[in-house]
Amino acid sequence: MANRAQIPTKSSALIAMIADEDTVVGFLLAGVGNVDIRRKTNYLIVDSKTTVKQIEDAFKEFTTREDIAIVLISQYVANMIRFLVDSYNKPVPAILEIPSKDHPYDPAHDSVLSRVKYLFSTESVASGRR
Amino acid sequence: MEERHLTVDQEPPQEAAEVVNRREVRLEPGAEEKLVLQFMDSLNSYLSFSHSLSSTLGQAWMELASARHSMGTARLNTSLLDLKFHPASTTLKITECDDDAKARFVLRKWVSPEEVGEDEDSNSTKSSVPADDDDEAVRRERAKSLSVFGILIPPKLRAAQQSFERALETLVEMANMQSSFLNSFHQLHQEVEDNKE
Repeated sequence: MANRAQIPTKSSALIAMIADEDTVVGFLLAGVGNVDIRRKTNYLIVDSKTTVKQIEDAFKEFTTREDIAIVLISQYVANMIRFLVDSYNKPVPAILEIPSKDHPYDPAHDSVLSRVKYLFSTESVASGRR
Repeated sequence: MEERHLTVDQEPPQEAAEVVNRREVRLEPGAEEKLVLQFMDSLNSYLSFSHSLSSTLGQAWMELASARHSMGTARLNTSLLDLKFHPASTTLKITECDDDAKARFVLRKWVSPEEVGEDEDSNSTKSSVPADDDDEAVRRERAKSLSVFGILIPPKLRAAQQSFERALETLVEMANMQSSFLNSFHQLHQEVEDNKE
């Protein structure tokens, strides 16, 4: 099939996180935390002082790094940079929107699910059947 | 006269080539239904896993809050995290499925840095096996992760660690389902676009 995205295979890739303190601490306990020689981490802790620009920069960095396979982002944080998340369409790293303590997950706001909702519209289904 | 009444076998070579090319691009009717089923199945699984994740994370946050209550806020926060060089113990292996252009993620839990180095050198195809609790290396890596927050670790913090590990497993399954339904979606979308032309 034409225009197939290349899947970069890797034996040891990281999980990046852009989330609140408790979520990041929890996943660090599970062993996903990584600090490289340049003291760059694979996580951004979002609190009341974190700016939208910092979140955008972190998202752009994590989605362009070759050593990251999945980016976990709290959905309420994703809502702050929704335009950026919506425009992302590479297969790797995969973007997973997760709930946070104070903001439950809402499938209606998920960028990936919104993209495939198109398949259920009568317009898309009927057009091929005429 | 005979030249005007051509059968399919006797189509001029150029038209036959065009027909063959169109068939290579378009999906056959049976394949399209199979793709739709695959799309619906993986989307349904993704949503089920996301419900399960919400539940697991809820429990994990509760255990973390209990641990913080017994340890004190000062002993369980991100200011204790240092920026010393520290490789991740839990990583992912990415492979590409042979039949489809979709990524497959495999979780590798509590891998020591030495093992990571060996795997990269030998291009090992060892698949992830959920960590065996009796394995000394796994226990060591788990303890190292907990030791960031002190020496005396309450049971609730260990429980939180296990809950977040379970959440990670669910997240990797979600990533695989996402990869599957996105792959089906792109193929179906391509088919719809081709039909419009």
